[in-house]
Amino acid sequence: MRSLLSVLLVVFVAVVSAISTTGDRLLVILEDVADKASYSTFLGDLESRGFKIAFETPKSESLSLFHLGERAYDHVIFFPTKSKGLGPNLTPQILLQFINAKGNILLTLSSGTVAPTSFVSLLAELDIQLPVDRTGLVVDHFSYDSASAADLHDVLLLPAPENLRRDVKNFFGAAESDDEVIAFPRGVGAALGSGELLTPILRAPRTAYSYNPKEQAEVVDDLFGAGEQLALVSAFQGRNSARFTLVGSAEMLQDKWFDAKVKAVGGKSATVQTFNRKFAKQVSGWTFQEIGVVRVNWIEHHLNEAGASNESNPAIYRIKNDVAYTISLSEWSWSSWTAFKVPANDELQLEFSMLSPLHRLHLKLDPAQSSPEAAAYTVSFKAPDQHGIFNFKVNYKRPFLTNVEEKNTVSVRHMAHDEWPRSFVISGAWPWIAGIGATVTGWVAFCGLWMYSASPDKKLAIKKTQ
Amino acid sequence: MAQKHRIPRETTPQTPQAAKTSTTATAPTAAQTTPIVSKQAAAAAKQQINSWDQVVRNLTNYYVDSTPQRTKLIDAFMAFLVVVGALQFLYCVLAGNYPFNAFLSGFSATVGQFVLTASLRIQTNEANKSDFPSVSPERAFADFVACSLILHFFCVNFIN
Repeated sequence: MRSLLSVLLVVFVAVVSAISTTGDRLLVILEDVADKASYSTFLGDLESRGFKIAFETPKSESLSLFHLGERAYDHVIFFPTKSKGLGPNLTPQILLQFINAKGNILLTLSSGTVAPTSFVSLLAELDIQLPVDRTGLVVDHFSYDSASAADLHDVLLLPAPENLRRDVKNFFGAAESDDEVIAFPRGVGAALGSGELLTPILRAPRTAYSYNPKEQAEVVDDLFGAGEQLALVSAFQGRNSARFTLVGSAEMLQDKWFDAKVKAVGGKSATVQTFNRKFAKQVSGWTFQEIGVVRVNWIEHHLNEAGASNESNPAIYRIKNDVAYTISLSEWSWSSWTAFKVPANDELQLEFSMLSPLHRLHLKLDPAQSSPEAAAYTVSFKAPDQHGIFNFKVNYKRPFLTNVEEKNTVSVRHMAHDEWPRSFVISGAWPWIAGIGATVTGWVAFCGLWMYSASPDKKLAIKKTQ
Repeated sequence: MAQKHRIPRETTPQTPQAAKTSTTATAPTAAQTTPIVSKQAAAAAKQQINSWDQVVRNLTNYYVDSTPQRTKLIDAFMAFLVVVGALQFLYCVLAGNYPFNAFLSGFSATVGQFVLTASLRIQTNEANKSDFPSVSPERAFADFVACSLILHFFCVNFIN
């Protein structure tokens, strides 16, 4: 019985650990709780990954993101609601407060409903622009699904996202085969500001544009945006590493698009399988801190000189000391901590700074101190010829990865008076040492001769006595 | 040496008493050489060299004859210090001043020793006896030894 219990406990712990690093309380907000049936596969996937899901409607009296000043939930998903406002429990201030308290939000929009003002304010706060009338429709006459949107062209078919930058790991592009496409049905495109915290996950293709289908049904003359201006899925990560994702089309998370067969216009093959289910897992996993979470395990620095004490993390160094610094990093990948590998075109850097960095050095992977769970990065350097209070600083902020900002303060003292090399060690000083030697020897000889040479009056005295 | 300083003594018709004080010694020689120069202007250059030679020789003779043994010793030591100091300075100019403390200490050892030795020379000179009525030559030498030891101690410490 006891063994069965312990086995169950182990299983339970394993299940519990196989989730986000920040918590498992997930709140889903829907217009009507009955709507969750259309998202059952998506929500079922989340549940199977270990999230404890609660459902609420915006108008619910019991809805509160905070309880006694603490977050009541770790993550929130908003599905489109028909109401214009979201009520007093979901004001933009509360939502921002939730992000500031390290809560994660996945917000979905739909062209069928007008985005609530609360969301528009929140998005404006994050420098994300929605169309002026709070709704829009992204269409593309060159890459639409000819099976379901032959006339309206409003179901976009997109390839899996390319790598954002050459030095950034791609969390969203791992398509199993090139044939798979992401279906983006009846969605809203947003324009992103130039802030460094915003990153587009999925951009619209070059031939897509966004317009208002209600006002511009006949003639499309005023576009909100076109081409790659439009971010269909965009990510925001705060300085506190809280994450916010805007998905332009809630419909792409529905069951019917998860295993839909779509037919690209002018495509070679008849129908292809959509990539939506995997993409939804990647986006929700990233938003809820299941991937791309970097942890600092330990930091160690020591004097790296032969014959010196090898004490870890001393508070003081001397100028021109050889110093070694090591930082151990792990990355959470769905269910376990893995060694954090810096992308091939990127560098992890250490700054040794007093006000401004006097050294900025590349940290290199040290296989001897690494394990499958943690990667150690190390660098050895000579402390600058400048005494004062210095920081070992690792400042690694990259899109899609949680921020690493570590600062360890040490003093760097000047040379003590007995730490300089002795003169006789320096060959250049030998002539001057010889000069002192000659002076002293000459002086001794002089004194000897002086005492042996009789003084003139003594000579006289001796002569007189004789 | 003894041979050499007899030669000018034979050429000059001056009495040995002339070498007793400096004022009496230089006046007759100058009085004698000037008429020779005025008489034979053609051989002036040769005569001048000869006269300069004579001046130097006179000075040397006077110095050798009238300087006490101990003062000569002091002068020899001071000349030695000048040579040693000049060599160190030359090395600094040619090879650079690193390590600077070594240069300072080596050079100041010779300079300081020179100054102390000069003080000893002044205090032990018979001519200055009236200036230092209370300082006997023994006392002056003791001071010199003590100060020199302090100087050497300082220099050896400073050169590290």
